[in-house]
This record gives sequence, structure tokens and C-alpha cells, in this order.
Amino acid sequence: MTGRIAAPGFPIEEVRARAREGISQLFPPTEQYGTTAFGADPGHGAGTDRGGAGEAAGGDPLDALRLAPPMFMPRRLDKLIELGREPLFSDVEVETVIGGFRSPLPLFLPALGSTRLADAGLGAAIARQAGRLGLPLVIGENVVPVKGYRQAASDTGSSLAARIREYSTQLPEGLGGVAVQQSTQDADAEVWNLVYSDPVADDLLASGRLAFELKVGQGAKPGLGGMTMVAGGDATALAKWFTLDRVSGSEEGLLRSASPGTFTEEILCRQVQLMRNNYPRARIWVKLFPGRDVGKAARVAWDAGADAVTVDGAEAGTGWAPTAFLEQVGLPLGACLRQIGSGRGCLLATGRMWEGARVVKALALGARAAGLGRAALLAADEDPEDGLVRLVRCLTLEIQLLVSAMGKYACHEVSGEDLWPQVVPACTDAADDARIDSPVVRSLS
Amino acid sequence: MTVQAQPVSVSAEAGISGTASASADTRAHLTSATTALALSVQDRMLRAARSHLTGLGFTELLPPILGPVTDPGVRGAKQVDIDYYGHRYKLMTSAILYKQASLLTFERIFYVAPNIRLEPLETANTGRHLTEFHQLDVEAAGTSRAEAMELAEKLVAHMITAVCANLGDRIAAAGRDTAELLRSATTPFDRTSHAEACARLRAIGHSQSPDAELDWAGEAILSRQHDRPLFITDYPKGSRGFYDREREDRPGILENFDLLLPGGFGELISGSRRENRYREIVTRIRETGENPAKYAWYLGVLRDGLPASSGFGIGVERLTRFLAGLDSVAQATSFPKRAGVLAP
Repeated sequence: MTGRIAAPGFPIEEVRARAREGISQLFPPTEQYGTTAFGADPGHGAGTDRGGAGEAAGGDPLDALRLAPPMFMPRRLDKLIELGREPLFSDVEVETVIGGFRSPLPLFLPALGSTRLADAGLGAAIARQAGRLGLPLVIGENVVPVKGYRQAASDTGSSLAARIREYSTQLPEGLGGVAVQQSTQDADAEVWNLVYSDPVADDLLASGRLAFELKVGQGAKPGLGGMTMVAGGDATALAKWFTLDRVSGSEEGLLRSASPGTFTEEILCRQVQLMRNNYPRARIWVKLFPGRDVGKAARVAWDAGADAVTVDGAEAGTGWAPTAFLEQVGLPLGACLRQIGSGRGCLLATGRMWEGARVVKALALGARAAGLGRAALLAADEDPEDGLVRLVRCLTLEIQLLVSAMGKYACHEVSGEDLWPQVVPACTDAADDARIDSPVVRSLS
Repeated sequence: MTVQAQPVSVSAEAGISGTASASADTRAHLTSATTALALSVQDRMLRAARSHLTGLGFTELLPPILGPVTDPGVRGAKQVDIDYYGHRYKLMTSAILYKQASLLTFERIFYVAPNIRLEPLETANTGRHLTEFHQLDVEAAGTSRAEAMELAEKLVAHMITAVCANLGDRIAAAGRDTAELLRSATTPFDRTSHAEACARLRAIGHSQSPDAELDWAGEAILSRQHDRPLFITDYPKGSRGFYDREREDRPGILENFDLLLPGGFGELISGSRRENRYREIVTRIRETGENPAKYAWYLGVLRDGLPASSGFGIGVERLTRFLAGLDSVAQATSFPKRAGVLAP
């Protein structure tokens, strides 16, 4: 055995583990794959030195912000006059339009993808409950190359067609909608063309409740494509779609990496335009990773005609990602929202959303709605029939309480003035590259 | 009389394969005088095209019908996959990539090519869409877009006059105004740009995105405003496949064209000057959201050089419909297949 060299302040155990185990140490423990929803741990990692206002690398400005009700509330007076009685939190209007879909709440279900976490009926359980609630649902990338488009009677609900069916059979009239995500790998499988002409989606299409989401990237691993771990036996079928690398000695030791896809402003703009051209009856959504130019990318997408832009913060969950990315790569959601600013188009925010305050802060920073990723998975895992429904009830109440406390009675009315320190969002029309690295939050006090 | 194209109403249950009523429908269709006339028109039209093109030095080739990739630039239509010895192959939505590659053998080629496109369900009743149809596919090396458009209009005019000369009495007896048809064969055809077409449509209250292809209703409106075929040029990037060349003098605009038939019959031809530069093609493939790796064979051929060219495809059933004055392209083929309708 080698000597135990001392190195105070240095991550000795991590270095030793890498030296001992090799590249498996770049990821969380493999045995946690399929049972754990990963994401940045605010209390762990080199990038979590959160300075006073949460501005340091890795710090989440949303966590650092507080919601700050005013004493004087002219809008509460307006509501009092409208109602002829004192307004209550239950008077807060929570219905909104998300990417062209009517939604009873400023909430939606973002993509879960093809990771094993979404298997075993969880994807279908979420689809079913989201349908009951009338919340828009995104069905993730790579589901078709990995799970197939349509499976036989034994289909457990993991295929794309099954998820659409689970969702739409529960859906109340006029509410919700499905956004089918496609990434570079999915483009090989032509997922959107499959869906667009399939009778399973015909009702959604006819009622304007089908969208296609172009995935530019995801929060937990900005700049990379999707990743999952697969067993050796599955490798042959997947090899034609994905890169496979052995990262551990266990049976399930193959890392399946999807290509992230190459984007320039022109490529993003033309892809959105092509989607509008090819699928005139579908809404067009774009999902961005928390890159340093996220403000510009959102503008390009909206200018090209996207109905919604989702920004996935660095703290967003994932089925699998290298720990370096989980902890040290990408902008926190709050920083993304500030870069993008409000008022340009329908902006959707995802990343560690599970309770009302974070949702309302995101709305105040310009988001139209927040996506429930890990929270939905955990809720459906807890109770496949009603877990998500109960979680959403909690969120609804909390959102209404918080918005009413600001003296406002519609979710879209909350703004930077309701946050402390108060936030002036990026001036989107004038925003340019030069501004992107400049913090735009400032205390007005 | 002026023949105006009308959308036809088709029952979704019509023509279910294997049922007694399907067999009866098939028999009725195959034995109808309308079908016989339409197929006679088609036969005469294709004979005229072959004669015209071979006279200009074109060689007719037999088109491939399956391959590892096919034309992706098809609005909303699904490709048909087949299991090819364990690999996923496609039936041709169009033979564009093969047309370009075939210029390595001959400088001027044409196909009468079968195409399969599982069109969106809403196309079932447009009167203009079949899931199985044919294109008269023409490609010529060293040819500009202007020369391709001139070739296209002379070819279409020749087919119209040939059909009128040989079958004029029969189509007139069926109600088609041959004088009107011959007027439509007067060259040069009308011309407008995509931007002008969009502006015209918006001026009359039709909402038409300037970034997209003309929608079907918009095409029909323009088509009714002309008594000769109308070329529409310069479509925006993002509305077409990666093989249409971008104009060097006007970035974002493609050096391409469509030809609309008069009388509401709508689009007959799509064509362009082709992009044949490797770097531009790879970038354009990304702009259409695809992974260039799936086009490996095509890109490999392209990297070693393909001739500059222009070309176009003519919808055979659509031209038949126009010449015979039919309500639907479904009447212009022996075994029509419409989106979502099960038929032999």
C-alpha cells in the first residue's frame, strides 16, 4: 500500500477514488443509476461557495431572493372594488396560456426522457395525472430511439404513443396539450413526422393541443447530449443511435451518450422556421440549456416564431450526468431568467421546482410557468394514482397565498418589484452580447 | 367553361382493403369512364414528355425506390421505414439525392419515379394529395435556375398541347375546355416571387407567414387569379430541403421555384438550382434539424464532387388532374391512396 500523503484542504478521497476506480468516478455511483434523480446539491461541490447575494459561481440567485410583499396594495383595492368584498388568496387567478395551450395553473411537466427513472410505469403515471390536471406535458427526447414509437399490447406505457394515449384520455376539454420533444438522435427517427400523421395524436392536433419541442440542451449537462447507463445486452440495439463507452466494471457499465447537436444562430432560427413550415398545425417549443448566451438564444427562437422557450437551469434534475456538470457547469436558473428578461415571449422555467415560492420567484423574473421534473417523478413514485395531483394541489395553494401576499390577483402580475433585492430584468430589446456577462440585478434600496 | 378545382369529400371508410365494399369500389373505379380518360391522358402526357426530353438529350433512368435515406424536405409527411436485413431503410419520398448523384453518369437525366409520403391526415380531402404518387423528375448538370424554369415551362406546355392534340375531343366531351387548356400552355408562364405572393395574399386578408411555404389555401387563391401557370421563385430558407441552393446575393433566400397551375389546381412543380458544395450541404442539413451522419453515402459522394445542376419534379397525377379537369388526384391513378384511408 502506498503512503498516505497529507494535503490539507485538497479533495484527497475524490482524487484517490479516481486513481483507484478510473472514469466511473466522473459520475455518481453507478448503483444509484435508475433509482436516483440527480441534480446540483447546494451543499456540495466546488461551485457552491455562495456569496452574499448568491452571485458566486454555482449559487442560485433564486434561492438568494426573497419574496417581498408591500404594505400598500393598490391592486388589492382594485380587486376589492371588483369583488365588492375583501379579496382572499383563493381569488388569485392561476389559469394561463403555456406555449399556446390553456393551462389551469402556471405549471407544466417537462420532459423526462428515456432514462430508466421514467420507466416502470412512472412516465405513464405522470402522463395520466398531468392529463387529469389539464397541465401541459412534454414527452422527452430519445424515447422513440430507445423505447420505440408504438409497442405491442404488453406496452407498459413507456413508448411515446402510449404516453400520449395515457395523457389525452384523461384530459379535460380545452385544457393542456402535449409537446413532443426531439433532439438530434430523434431526428434520425423522425419523431415529429411519426406523431404528426398518427391517429393517436389527431384529436390533440385538431384541438390545437399538440406542440413539437426542439431540444437544444438540458440544464444538468449543458453542452452535452442526453446520457444514460445501459446494460451490455442492450448495447447492440442502441449502438446505431448512440455512442457507448464502458465506464465501470459492473454489468450495467455502458454509458450511452447522445449527440448534443450543433447550433449556430442561423441553425436555430432555420430549424424553428422549418418546424413551423412543416407542421403548421402544431405549436413550436424550444428548450434551451443554461448557457452563457441563453438570452440571445431565446430571442432567436422567439424571433423565428417559437410559441414557447423553456430555459432549464443548471440545478435541473437528470437521470444521469457527470458530477462536474452537476456541480460546476451552466448558469443557475435565476441568472438565466435575468438574462432573458421578461416581455418578449412565452418563457418557461425548469430547475429544482417543487414548492410555490421558487415558482413565484421565477414568474416574477418573467417566466410564464414552471416545470415540475424531479418533483413530479417523486410524487408519482410515492403514489402513482394521486401523488402528482396532491403535489399540484399544494403548489396551487402556495402560489395563491404568495401572489395574494404581493397584493396581486393574477399570476402574470408578479414582477421584479416583488423580489428582494428588487430585480430589474434585462432590457431585452437592447440586450446584446456585451451585456450577457454583466449582472443585471441591483438593489434599488 | 372555366374549370375550377374543388376539394372532394371522401369518406374515411371508403375503400377498406379486403371488404366487399372495397372490392366494389375498386371495380367501379377501374371500370369508370373517368378513370379510363384520366389514364389515357396520363399515358399521352408521359409519352409527350419522354419524346420532348429525349429530344433534348436527356436519358431516362429507372429510379431507385428504397435507400438508407430519402428526401427530408417534405412538409409534415411521414417516411416509410422498412427492415432491410436488419437495417432501417426508407421508401423514396423523392429521388432528389439520387438524381444529383446520377449526374455522374449522364449530364441530363429524368425519371418517372414512384414516391411514398404518408401525408398528414388533413390532406385526405384536399384533392391534391396522395400517399403514393409519381413525379416526372428532371435534373440537368451545368444548368441555371432560369434555364431549368424555361425547360419546365416548355415541357409542361408541350404536354398540354400534345394531350389537346390527341385527346382534345374526349376531354372536351367530358367537360374540359380545351381552348382554355391551350391558353394555359402559352409561354412564358407568369412569374412572381414568394415575398410578392405573400404580400398579395396578406393584402386580401389571407394570413400567410413570410417564412413558410404558401399554405394550400393561399396557393389555391393565387392559382385562381391566373389563366396561365404561375412560377413562384425565391422561397425563404427554412421552408425547403437542404438541397435548394441559397442565393449568394440574398442570404436567407433560396434559388428555387414552384409552378402553380391555374384555375385553383395549385402546385405542380418544385425545383431549384441545387446546392452541391459539401460544407454548405452539411450546414444546411443541421439547419433542417437533422444529423448529417444519416446521409453518409450522399455526403461521401458529394465530398468527392458532384456537378452543379438544376432540376425539378412534376406531379404526374396533379398534371393529369388538371388536363382532364378532375376533382381529385385520386381520379388520376388506378389505385388511389389517400392519407389515413386504407385502400388497395
